[in-house]
Amino acid sequence: MRKILCILMVGILFLLTGCSGNTGNQGKKNGPVTITIWHDKEDAVIAVLQDAVKALEPDIMVAFEKKTGMTESLKLVGNDKNAAPDMYFFAHDKIGVYAEMGILTPITELLGENALAGYVPLTVKGATYKGRLYQVPLYFETLLFMYNKKYIAEKDVPATTEQLYAYMQRKTKYGHYGFVEQHSTPYYAAGWIHGFGGSLINDEGAPCLDSAEAKAALAYHKKFVDYMPGETEYATVNTLFTEGMAHATIAGPWFVPTVRAAGINVGIAPMPIVDETGLPLAPYSGIQGLHVLKVQAAQKRDAIVKVLETLMQPEVSVKLAKVSGCAPAVESCYTLEEVTADPLIMAMKQTAETAIPMPNIPEMDVMWTVAGNLLVNVNMSGQDIEPASAEAQKKALELIEAMK
Amino acid sequence: MKQPKEKQTGKKTAIAYLVSVPSLILIFLIVVFPILYTGYISLTNMNTYHWFSFDIIGFRNYERALLVFDSGFLSALLMTVVWTAVNMALQLLIAFLISNLLNVKHLPLRNVYKTILMFPWAMPGYVSILLWKTGMFNSQFGLLTQWMEDLSGLTIRWLQNDVSAFICCTVVNLWLALPFMIMIMDGGLKSIDRSYYESATLDGAGPIRQAISITLPCLKPIIGPSVMITLFTTFKQFDVIYLMTQQVGSQTGAHIHTIITYAYENAFITNNYGYSSAISIMIFVLLILFAQVMNRKKKGANT
Amino acid sequence: MKIKTVKGIASATFINLFFIACCFLALLPILYALSVSLDAKGSLLSSNFSFIPKEFTLVHYGRVFTEEPVLLWFQNTMLLTAATVVLAMATAVPAAYVFSRKRFAGRTVVLRMLLLLYSFPSILSLFAIYKLMSSLGLINTHIGLIVIYAGTMSVFALLNMKGYFDAIPVEIEEAGRIDGCSDLNIVTKIVLPLARPTLIVTGVMIVNFVWNEYIFSINFLTGSDRMTLASGLYSLQATETSGSWPVFAAASLLVSFPVLIIFFLGQKHMVSGLTSGGVKG
Repeated sequence: MRKILCILMVGILFLLTGCSGNTGNQGKKNGPVTITIWHDKEDAVIAVLQDAVKALEPDIMVAFEKKTGMTESLKLVGNDKNAAPDMYFFAHDKIGVYAEMGILTPITELLGENALAGYVPLTVKGATYKGRLYQVPLYFETLLFMYNKKYIAEKDVPATTEQLYAYMQRKTKYGHYGFVEQHSTPYYAAGWIHGFGGSLINDEGAPCLDSAEAKAALAYHKKFVDYMPGETEYATVNTLFTEGMAHATIAGPWFVPTVRAAGINVGIAPMPIVDETGLPLAPYSGIQGLHVLKVQAAQKRDAIVKVLETLMQPEVSVKLAKVSGCAPAVESCYTLEEVTADPLIMAMKQTAETAIPMPNIPEMDVMWTVAGNLLVNVNMSGQDIEPASAEAQKKALELIEAMK
Repeated sequence: MKQPKEKQTGKKTAIAYLVSVPSLILIFLIVVFPILYTGYISLTNMNTYHWFSFDIIGFRNYERALLVFDSGFLSALLMTVVWTAVNMALQLLIAFLISNLLNVKHLPLRNVYKTILMFPWAMPGYVSILLWKTGMFNSQFGLLTQWMEDLSGLTIRWLQNDVSAFICCTVVNLWLALPFMIMIMDGGLKSIDRSYYESATLDGAGPIRQAISITLPCLKPIIGPSVMITLFTTFKQFDVIYLMTQQVGSQTGAHIHTIITYAYENAFITNNYGYSSAISIMIFVLLILFAQVMNRKKKGANT
Repeated sequence: MKIKTVKGIASATFINLFFIACCFLALLPILYALSVSLDAKGSLLSSNFSFIPKEFTLVHYGRVFTEEPVLLWFQNTMLLTAATVVLAMATAVPAAYVFSRKRFAGRTVVLRMLLLLYSFPSILSLFAIYKLMSSLGLINTHIGLIVIYAGTMSVFALLNMKGYFDAIPVEIEEAGRIDGCSDLNIVTKIVLPLARPTLIVTGVMIVNFVWNEYIFSINFLTGSDRMTLASGLYSLQATETSGSWPVFAAASLLVSFPVLIIFFLGQKHMVSGLTSGGVKG
């Protein structure tokens, strides 16, 4: 028996050492510093960044690692020196959660107080939590109103929501849809609530799901949903548009290359204006940028600063804007002809003027789920708006209370 | 005489543990430790604001889950019981039927059928679930939706209300789990002595009578362990319900929460680890109670 | 007699039809995925979906290989699977044997605990396992995952193989002992060959588990070059920016294929290896 045990133990040890040999690549003190950046972006975007930081080699090597489920992983590894990345590249909306958890370093500590002078105000607002800056914005995006030019001529694009509704009533038949969107996903549906002057949550972190504006928006939105498919997930909605079965949609700029590849002649138009309020649908905007993790900041300070400074150059922003179809975060970019000539970027910039940056307070983390459930309840389960929104409001308050 | 014997058993125990220790260590690290740690976290106020600096707050998380009726835990618990019962009953029944039919005489294609019926088992679970969700039940281009439209002209939103979503989830779970059960029962049936049936036939017992008084009692001990394993698998089924109806960004409108999906939603979406750990521990305690009841029943049946 | 044959034919037809329907149901999503992945026209949306695409294409399969590092994922998965099987089996076989053959203090308690432990959903222990792995410095390493997988499957492996060992008559071993075999020899020369079905089945079940596991590998691994097939496939459909249904369908089938082969190679041992009582020494 002992012999077996010995053999087994030796075998296991061998296995363990054999494997760890392959994977132990952390914590080299001398030689080049490796900066690891987690992201969830398209390859083309990363290629631009990778290209820009080439200049820093061989002293600083930057590794971009694509991470699925990044926001969850950051909660787990954020404080762990061996596992946390040095930075992550993501939208600004998690700043509050991570700052409260204590895993982020304010970028002003690295780059000085005026780090974001000359940035588009919207992006600075998004990067600020409790008066401190936690993000270096690279570009920002909002949802756009897209239409298929095969069905809708440029002059006939619905300018108001009632025109859009009339169009949907006319065209939604024989498997075709006048207009589709991810109607029960808060990121998409928030535009309607904003269009009624409401919001999901206010700046103080109090949920506003049972406000008169929100309820009016839900009721109004519901009649549009009745002309949309019974699914809210992106696969259904996006496929309908790329297959030419949906005439118009609301989607992010990342969708444009896919649409063009599918052979759709896509047009971008301003968001329709809500007849009742005179406000356009105002979707959330996401500000994509770099965040620095506290555990790594002290040790690798110089390298991190260099990488940030390299990526903050306006040229990089312009290149990024072109490949991602998003709008540069640096104000001075908008004087360049190559930016102003790009209709997609300019449409984005225009929408961004009314767009609302996603709230970055921790309370919002709860709201995504609660508001999502509310939308599903109203739009898909057919619950009445009054009780559903009252219940959602109560649930939101309860969960926010439980956070503290 | 007594002492050396004791010494021997002592030595035997030591050797036994020495040999099994690598496995037990692994199990301790990956299975036991997490449960203990979860127990510890359940007594704290770990959440977004106290992520690294959480304090012990006693049993307040348990209080909240149990006393606030509205919190959803109790209804999730009820749903879990219903889910487990319905799925196990259907699984056993259908598997029993199919495996018996697989063993009728003169079935030349027996092995072909058997092989094909095993296919669902080999597919990665979540792939199958997503294939069902998008390929079959999607209200826009799901195959079943299209067939229903062709047949009756009605567009059915399968996953939109609780009852039909529950049925759909059950169908998918059966699809995933039946191959295993059929195989087990098929193996069990093969091991039953043919002569029992022959003498029963001579005594004039019909096929149903034979199934009840020969097949079932003979099958019970053979498939017992596997049924227990399946029971627990069904109980802790997460993927089917979560991916079919609740995946973030593609909820379908149904609200069927089992305690597992409920605990998951609380932990990962609202970051309330203290609370969700309390729920996890309560799930574990319920399992212990359940196992005790089963054990007593077993003992009762034996005596 | 005649009536009986007519009846016989009728019931045989009925049974065959029943099984054809069952098989069709069993294959339905798979056939669907196959036809979606082979269809050049993207007929997903046409109201008359047909299982046989009007225009065949292998483009989606090509995209799986060119756009994603599938071969690397495959390699990672192979490594993880092989190492997990070795680790889990090497530790569980002796443990299962001892628990089956020897009577010692604490044996029944441990055994009863094991079944209970199996019932605790591992997804709920994700966070605790994370804490453990990070204090061991094993986050983002394949070895960390191997330990997790082996630990998770150990419970099943131990219980399953113990059941089988129970069914092997002790007399066979005693005969060997009389012939002067050592303990080690008895196990390797007599018991293990007899237990081959259960070894194969347990191995296949572990392979199946590791091959399909994605939650741990998504949370514990970073970078698409470390991913496994399952987590890579999951990330293919999880993000809005990269989702493509036909490519996902093609990738799913490719991923399932090796498991199917392993399954059917092991199939003839499956039943006897799982139904412990069914073995007659």
